[in-house]
Amino acid sequence: MDEFDDREIARLLRLKRFEQPPPGYFENFLHEFHRRQRDELLRQPLWRICLERAHTFMLGLDVRSLTSYPAAVTAILVCVAVISLKIYQQPETAHVALQSPPALSAPVDAGGELNLASPVSMQILRTQPVRSFNESAQTHRAAPPRYVLDSVPVSYEPAFRF
Amino acid sequence: MDQPRIDLDQELVKRTQAGDAAAFDELVIKYTPRLYGLVYNMTSNHEDTNDLLQDIFAKAYKAIRGFRGKSSFYTWIHSISVNMTLNFLKKRGRRYHLSLDDVDASIQNDKEFMEATATSSPVREADLSELQRRLNEAMMKLSEDHRAVVTMFHIQGMPHAEISKILRVSEGTVRSRLFYANRQLQNYLDEFRKNPVS
Repeated sequence: MDEFDDREIARLLRLKRFEQPPPGYFENFLHEFHRRQRDELLRQPLWRICLERAHTFMLGLDVRSLTSYPAAVTAILVCVAVISLKIYQQPETAHVALQSPPALSAPVDAGGELNLASPVSMQILRTQPVRSFNESAQTHRAAPPRYVLDSVPVSYEPAFRF
Repeated sequence: MDQPRIDLDQELVKRTQAGDAAAFDELVIKYTPRLYGLVYNMTSNHEDTNDLLQDIFAKAYKAIRGFRGKSSFYTWIHSISVNMTLNFLKKRGRRYHLSLDDVDASIQNDKEFMEATATSSPVREADLSELQRRLNEAMMKLSEDHRAVVTMFHIQGMPHAEISKILRVSEGTVRSRLFYANRQLQNYLDEFRKNPVS
């Protein structure tokens, strides 16, 4: 056989399997791998580590499996919407009640006093707040509690007189 | 590829994806010798091979969470290795340095080695070490793509189908590259045989 044919080339190339790294190389390779991993980690800024972790986490998520549960996703969205609506509405009603409670009040009349004899229908009704919430709070703090019912008859039956 | 190997690899990959770094260590230990041969015969340099192997496993560790198992881990890690080595070689350009070690004298007593060189052939006629050196030179004259195919087929003993999966080319392309590479190697070695001192 004077020339190298495919078989001879193949035989010769197979000898290259015997070319090996220095002794102990494979035993130390893993330690070297760990050392390099640690070094690389220490060299990286914190934001980059976080970015890589986030990227790896996103890669680990199987997005298709998540989208295969549309009912669950919809239910979660509806729940979030309802809860957020309730949260939004609650402070609104409280605000209205505190801010401007419409009150029926008699006009301040320097000449006459409000008494039981005067017909209510003759009074001009106003729908303006008697006083603001702050004023009310100050009054309540300053003065002892006073009940309006004191001046309103509980019953229209004649009172006992002795 | 045998089934138990795939199953064991799948198990190790799953454990790694779950955060078990020791499982990845097992994969590193298992695949380092094989990948060393692949990268070394493409780069012809031990230091480059060492650095590349470290980078290959580091990249594989970062990317393993995204590994969905569409191919076997064997094919996946070989694809990473070949692609990274080809990129490295393209960056390095033609500036190769032949530091391939000569055939170790101790292996000349190896049974397989003796069988490989026992038959009447040009190998026996030539000085084996010199022939190996020439062969390495001839390998380095091949393009990176051809060298990769020769390394995987002749040295690593991979079938055409596996090589086509790793390189993501057709089996026909693999055969074609092999044929062309063999012709080039033959021409170079014939030239050496006819004119050994050149």
